[in-house]
Amino acid sequence: MPSRKMPAPTGLRPPPAPVSAMRFIFEYDGDAVRLLSQQPVDMAITGAELGQSLAVGYFVDARDADNRTLARVHARGLSGGTAEVFPETPGEPIVHVKVEQPKGAFTVVLPVPAGAARVALVQVLPQADAHTAAAGAAAPLRGTDIASFPLHRQP
Amino acid sequence: MTTADGAVLGTTQIAGSAPRNRAFNVVLLAEGFTAAQQADFNNACTAFTTAFFATPPYDDLLPAINVFRVNVSSTDTGADDPVATGGTGATARTYFDATFGANGIRRLLVCNSSTALTLAAAQVPEFSVVLVVVNSTVYGGSGGSVGTYSLASGATEIAIHEMGHTAYGLADEYPYYAGGNETGHDHHPSGEPSEPNVTTNGDRATLKWNWAVAAATALPTMSNPNCGVVDSRPSTVPAGTVGLFEGAHYYHCGGYRPEYDCKMRNLGVPFCRVCRQVIWNRIGPLTALVARARAPISVIARFPEHLDVFAIADNGRTMSNWWSPASGWAGWFQLMGGVSSPGGTGSPVTAIHRYAGHIDLFTVGTDSRVYSAWWDGNGGWRPWFAIGTLVCRPGSTVTALSRYDDHIDLFTTASDGRVMSTWWDVRSGWASWFPLQGGVAANGASVTAVARYPHHLDVFTVGTDNRVYSIWWDERSGWSNWFALDGQLARSDATVSVVSRHRDQLDLFTTDTTGRIVSISWNVNSSWGSWFQVAGGVASPGSPVTAIARYSGHLDLFVIGTDRRIYSTWWHEGGNWAPWFVVSGGVGQAGGQVAAISRVAEHIDLFTVGSDGNVWSTWWHGGSGWAGWFQLGVS
Repeated sequence: MPSRKMPAPTGLRPPPAPVSAMRFIFEYDGDAVRLLSQQPVDMAITGAELGQSLAVGYFVDARDADNRTLARVHARGLSGGTAEVFPETPGEPIVHVKVEQPKGAFTVVLPVPAGAARVALVQVLPQADAHTAAAGAAAPLRGTDIASFPLHRQP
Repeated sequence: MTTADGAVLGTTQIAGSAPRNRAFNVVLLAEGFTAAQQADFNNACTAFTTAFFATPPYDDLLPAINVFRVNVSSTDTGADDPVATGGTGATARTYFDATFGANGIRRLLVCNSSTALTLAAAQVPEFSVVLVVVNSTVYGGSGGSVGTYSLASGATEIAIHEMGHTAYGLADEYPYYAGGNETGHDHHPSGEPSEPNVTTNGDRATLKWNWAVAAATALPTMSNPNCGVVDSRPSTVPAGTVGLFEGAHYYHCGGYRPEYDCKMRNLGVPFCRVCRQVIWNRIGPLTALVARARAPISVIARFPEHLDVFAIADNGRTMSNWWSPASGWAGWFQLMGGVSSPGGTGSPVTAIHRYAGHIDLFTVGTDSRVYSAWWDGNGGWRPWFAIGTLVCRPGSTVTALSRYDDHIDLFTTASDGRVMSTWWDVRSGWASWFPLQGGVAANGASVTAVARYPHHLDVFTVGTDNRVYSIWWDERSGWSNWFALDGQLARSDATVSVVSRHRDQLDLFTTDTTGRIVSISWNVNSSWGSWFQVAGGVASPGSPVTAIARYSGHLDLFVIGTDRRIYSTWWHEGGNWAPWFVVSGGVGQAGGQVAAISRVAEHIDLFTVGSDGNVWSTWWHGGSGWAGWFQLGVS
């Protein structure tokens, strides 16, 4: 570059501050879900956790006061009403057994943008007629709120 | 049995040195170890870490993984082991209340997952996964949000398999529900499973792991001849072959897995190629991206509060990162296993968004063919596919334009330098590649294009005589002939950057044979003007000039200077070009590129490969000026 004087950049600012995040621990017993704890956490959330596109499964949303979704992450580790039983001898089959009353806990770390007021557990499933979809085709999906809880931000 | 049956003794980081808030943190909790048995737990944690770190792809991701052990003492040793399920009848007072024999099956070893998660959050708030290690040599374990396993030989495999579900959303690949003798599991239901490692789709072009399938591999690779039973034949192809193996996701037929075997199918075997990639894309984004030094970065804003950035890793992997104000930067992840051509500066991934919920990508692969992939808000990323049979110059750029929602135009260079084009229309699909009126680009020159309005295209390149050439297309008249914009020779590998500030205006920027930054403009009223040097600027050899128009009477330029600093200048209607200035002290790569985008008129985002090989970003906002550069990873 030629030896021109460069004007000082105006108002040099620091890099962006990380988006605040919170860890939520949920407990479920059959169809009942309760929020066991919510705590702020300094933790990066990668795109693999964020529900950027609609897909089948469980998700947890950060919602504003008007119930608009501000951020969404996958919720994994919920029992689908079955348990995996592992063989003692390698090569023997892993089997599934039904669990009559699924019970347990799971956790997510969720971005909590400004304006977030609630946290909601959502189940996304193919719509009723989706079983007719061709192999490989994306079936239409629909999300249903399983439970919703107020967000308690730390001061 | 409750937490009153034990005590938390302390937490120790036993492996890894990644910052906790940018790491995959594994927490191991002691269950059924008395205070005097804590050394046994420590040894079990060491054994787990050794096995875990030796398991691909974790062995490649160690800089982003930490392992912690939480020593917890219990009043008694082991776990409950009910007689009714074949156990000893032992009852143990333990912190996490672990018990064998859950659901009537002795091997099903479970614990109180609420207690485990709560303690892990208290001890290591940034934890990613929690595993409870039960002090018993009886074989057992279980999955879910907390992996539980005993000290029996091979039980660590349960923990690593269960992490596949909990941390990455991987499906079970085994072809039965209850060992193979069950009913109702002959045929997988129709519809595509959402998990990344199972499919019902037998079409090579749209198969979600087609990036990993060799052209010579038959699809399906193995079919089950009798859907009434599990196909128990040995593999008919060499181990490691990725294809379609029938029998997966709890069904004997109709569901396919990527390889014959995988840890999501059998314990004691490696993860398959597809599962390894999924794991890599969960943990890899926590680390910085080392980028190919000169491969251009692409950036799009599908709407003002969103950015998608595309770059090439130093090993050629096609990578992406995205930002939204709600979640920050998502971290770098590999796009469907793609690897771009390493010739020249390296083929970039170019991106367009025909509408807010859709992205189309283009690159030249290692076989010099043009590949495309797309993302849609309903369904996510789809695999790469080849567009026609054109063989490009290694390292070519594929320039893409969307003149309207249902149409794409592509431009690139063939292996012999001919300027080539094709288009896609929603009604007719992809057309065949065709040479653009005999034009031949100089070696290393890219082809650029702009649509001043939906039914018009202007295309530019540097010819073999180093002159800048243009050609245009109009819906009413078709393609013109090439013509030279005389009065200026360009570097043979120069990019001709073009901006249309409004439909009757073109501004071109490139570098001459000595690196001087030169410009020429066209206006519908006055036609082409004369070339001039922009504010005395000289670029690093090979560095392209990036130009954006935030509004119709304003231009901003960005380039890497001869001292590798990142420079900018601007022009405002009625005035002269401002002197070049260094943007926030940034230093890039010799011959590198600066990607720029204006999401809103008073905002600019920049991206470049820094002197350390990582991707960096900064932004300018009208009210506050330039921010400092920051390494682009995960927020």
